[in-house]
Amino acid sequence: MKAKLKRIRSDWILYLMLLPGITYFIIFHVIPIINMKLAFEDYRIIGENTWAGLKHFQVLFSSPAFMDVLQNTIIISTMKIIFIFPIPIILSLLISEVRSGPFRKYVQSVSYLPHFLSWVVIAGIWISFLSPDGGFNIIRNFFQLPSLDFMTSKDHIRWVLVFSEMWRSAGWDSILYIAAIMKISPHLYEAAQLDGASTFQQMRHITLPALATTVVTVFILNLGFFMNAGFDQVFNLMNDSVISKIDILDTYVYRIGLLNGEYSYATAASLFKGAIGLVLILGTHFLSKRLTGKGVW
Amino acid sequence: MRRMSWSRTIIYTILFFVSLAVLIPLLNLLAMSLSSPDRVNELSGLGIFPKGFSLINYEIILSNPMILKSIGNSVFITIVGTVLNLTLTSITAYVLARTNFVGKNFVLIFLIAIMVFEPSMITEYLLVKDLGLLNTYASLIFYKAINVYYLFILMRFFQEIPESIIESARIDGAGHFRIFTRIVLPLSKPALATLTLFYGVYHWNEYFRATIYISDPGKWPLQVVLRQFVVTQDNTTMLAGMNLSPEVLASLDFASLQSSTIVIAIIPLLLLYPLILKYFTKGTMDGGVKD
Repeated sequence: MKAKLKRIRSDWILYLMLLPGITYFIIFHVIPIINMKLAFEDYRIIGENTWAGLKHFQVLFSSPAFMDVLQNTIIISTMKIIFIFPIPIILSLLISEVRSGPFRKYVQSVSYLPHFLSWVVIAGIWISFLSPDGGFNIIRNFFQLPSLDFMTSKDHIRWVLVFSEMWRSAGWDSILYIAAIMKISPHLYEAAQLDGASTFQQMRHITLPALATTVVTVFILNLGFFMNAGFDQVFNLMNDSVISKIDILDTYVYRIGLLNGEYSYATAASLFKGAIGLVLILGTHFLSKRLTGKGVW
Repeated sequence: MRRMSWSRTIIYTILFFVSLAVLIPLLNLLAMSLSSPDRVNELSGLGIFPKGFSLINYEIILSNPMILKSIGNSVFITIVGTVLNLTLTSITAYVLARTNFVGKNFVLIFLIAIMVFEPSMITEYLLVKDLGLLNTYASLIFYKAINVYYLFILMRFFQEIPESIIESARIDGAGHFRIFTRIVLPLSKPALATLTLFYGVYHWNEYFRATIYISDPGKWPLQVVLRQFVVTQDNTTMLAGMNLSPEVLASLDFASLQSSTIVIAIIPLLLLYPLILKYFTKGTMDGGVKD
């Protein structure tokens, strides 16, 4: 004990160096988490908040609006996993078939680019490209299909979310898979070529099996963020015509809490989302550790 | 051999179309912003070359005092924010990666807890309000001042510095602060460059916190003003505070004005893109899965 105290005293400079970072985390991270007890209280502008128990949660779970946003969140996240998740894998397989050189550099540089654009910018680009006389409708007209106003179409807006997310992230997300493919020994391919294996046979029997671990890890990690469903994206692509189809938990919290000022009720919704998210992240972390030896942290 | 080249042709063709799918919407906006207002109607939604050529959209956008102010705000927030990010992240990473002290495990568990528990946007907003930081740049500069994922990337990098270099400095009598500033930081330039880009891109693109924390339009960053134009379709702010003659006003095309604002918001990223490709790509490949 005495030795410990002595060490603490002689290492004072280390604690001093840690102080700014830890202080930051406590003020801007720990305090707002503790303050989420607001979900069990009634917010008062003046004076202490009053205890409300589970009142806000009861209102929440009996609210049809909340059930709708919960359903939207689950549908949108599921659609994204099914339709977006395989794309970077396919892309990495294709890119790996291209020998290093200008074309490969070009494809990689171009496909990574949208990842660095903000959702405000991407919304601007997509609203223009999907407008009734925008590029996508010109392609549709070429195939004798009528022009559609996608941004205000209830039937299409979820697909707009899926494809704009794909446009933004598929290229960048392929990096991990490309890195895994680059680690495969070239001897395997040489041997396969000697045996007369075609490009597609090599992909199926060498590359894909080598990618399995990475695929499982990324899939599991994605599940951990299932309840997010892409707030920034929805926030910027939403409009009054389609709100019923794409209003998700986070946009609901924003509207009810920050626009309407129902702080306690919105915090209850946040806390519910956070609790499910926590279970998912912890669950996927331990599942991933078990299956692949790699966790979230 | 013939079959091989066949599959190769298919692959190259698919990838070429993928790259077009990314590029054409971007180039179309660029072409729209550079077309002359009286001919922009001729530009097809797939066109990538401007119809006529005019910089009038940029002249108007860049003479709007609100947009100029917002560009200045964005630059300020990005620079100050990134400097703060780098300072806090690197000093914390040094202590955790290169030293042993009583309580270190506790701090590491604390950081993992920080990563797993996300505060609600409501309580974050109320905190900023209680601290009196609403309507200040500080609210944006302090938000995510340390990103735990980036902290872990930097720790991993610091751990790779050979112990012998640090040991010899210690024998020469250097203290921790000196070792940190004179040895660890200079040896970590590539990692610090990566983090500068990570944080810088984040600050430049940030709009949501500014939307909820800043109500004074004079303090908005560019992304919020841009959102006002392209998402909220608020055309009056786009021309607010400018005395345009009715003829000029009549000749304007709002879609082109919007696209030139989008291009202005992308330009800094394009200028840095070669560096981003060099450092980000490497950072992501080294970092393993989540970071």
